[in-house]
Amino acid sequence: MSAALLDLRDVSVGYNGTPVLEHVSFAVERREFVALLGPNGAGKTTLLRAMLGLAPVLAGCIDYGFDRGASPPGYVPQRDTLDAIFPLTAFEVVLMGTYAKLRPLRPAGAAQRHLAARCLEQVGLAALAQRPFWAMSGGQKQRVLIARALAVEPEIMLLDEPTAGVDHQAEAAIGDVLAALNRERGLAVVLVSHNLGHIQSTVQSVVWVDGGEAVKHSADVLSAVTPPAGLMHARSKTA
Amino acid sequence: MSVLVEILRPSFLLHDALVASVLVGAVCPLVGVYFVLRRMIFLGVALPQVSAAGIAFAFFGYKLIVGPHEHFEMNERLIAVVGSVAFTLAATLALSLFERRGRGTVEARIGTTYAVAAAATIIFLAKDPHGDAQMVNLLKGDILATTSASLLTMKVVFAAVVLVLFACRKELLLVSFDRDLAVVFGKRAGLWDLLLYLLIGLIISFGVMTAGPMATFGFLVVPAVTMRLLARRMLTFSLGAAVLGGATAFVGFYCAYCFDLPLGPAEVGVASVVLVVVGVTTRILGALGLWQSP
Repeated sequence: MSAALLDLRDVSVGYNGTPVLEHVSFAVERREFVALLGPNGAGKTTLLRAMLGLAPVLAGCIDYGFDRGASPPGYVPQRDTLDAIFPLTAFEVVLMGTYAKLRPLRPAGAAQRHLAARCLEQVGLAALAQRPFWAMSGGQKQRVLIARALAVEPEIMLLDEPTAGVDHQAEAAIGDVLAALNRERGLAVVLVSHNLGHIQSTVQSVVWVDGGEAVKHSADVLSAVTPPAGLMHARSKTA
Repeated sequence: MSVLVEILRPSFLLHDALVASVLVGAVCPLVGVYFVLRRMIFLGVALPQVSAAGIAFAFFGYKLIVGPHEHFEMNERLIAVVGSVAFTLAATLALSLFERRGRGTVEARIGTTYAVAAAATIIFLAKDPHGDAQMVNLLKGDILATTSASLLTMKVVFAAVVLVLFACRKELLLVSFDRDLAVVFGKRAGLWDLLLYLLIGLIISFGVMTAGPMATFGFLVVPAVTMRLLARRMLTFSLGAAVLGGATAFVGFYCAYCFDLPLGPAEVGVASVVLVVVGVTTRILGALGLWQSP
């Protein structure tokens, strides 16, 4: 088992045998907060999905520093990928996170319900537990999905554009929740984003994804070089 | 009132038909909710048609190998069951495989399945004129011909399907709502999909055998669509659709008996009236700010 939580070694990822990113090598350490940044269509989500086992790894390998079978990673998808036609309350959505460790055919019991309630409380939505998921605002839905990922009791949480399409206040609330989870619970976080905004001060490392490659930097480059092109330039200078 | 008392008596001549009717009405919506949630309602049209094609093929094959078969003979229903179950399961497995491989669009796959099944039904019947009359009865919904033996078989199959649906509700909901999450959790999403399709196939096969393709499609979809306008939780959605389906089947049976109407259309008609009433009422209440549609 790898010492790092995620260790990507010379990884190529893509679809139908065609690589989107090649020769990607970096690690995500315990308690680390990593942002995958880059322009639209660069392959950020594909890379995140490969880390989750949802997109094929065409070459190289990803080592996991945790038992994926016993304790899968927490996953927060883009909320628009979930269909509002399902009549589910916020609590029922969070409860799904507990299914990770439940054997087939075994129903969620009191322990799982208690855990789901606690996770909702952690994201500040305990009062809205019985509200229909479809009736919630974008920011609230996103926090419910974070609570669902927490209900897995993961060591690492991977989020796809958690602040996309939410207002400034909701973005700040999501940022606060993620920062607190990282700081207080030591949860490693990997998130895809176009714009870090409120989260920027929490991010420790940045993986810049562009031009078919992905390279990890310290978050210091964010303040040193602002334009994306400059970030790549900074990488070549440090290398 | 006296008619109601009469049809509720166990000695009622059509008691088995009434029970079969209510069972189809109550159980079809339990899988129908997945049709609605997975946005594949038209599969509910295609699969009963495939089931009908299976019945027509079985009659045709029987005529070729053994000889003509007679209506109401015991083996007639057995032939139909074999054809219906075989074709429906084969089609559900094929559709499941194509879905996993992402070949074409869902609409294209379902539309093609319907067209092929409808054409095959007519071709098989054209080659077996003797089976035509029996087939017409089955397609209308030969529910009045329900026997104690066929009702018992249906009860056993439906009870098994309901039990599996209940036991696996957690997994079936997870793969339906967020398939990616199921994969991240290490669940075999493809196998759970397959299980759901097999259950759907069994319900449709026996539903078509008992009530015909039209009534089966009606009960798969209409009660679930109606409950979707009212339910705010999965449990109330599923159970509500089942109760609504059973109740409308009973009222439809009552109307068909009282007014000498064809049974299947009467039942679907009642279910559709309920859908319209619920739809209009919730819309009006919503406009008045008294109701928030789910």
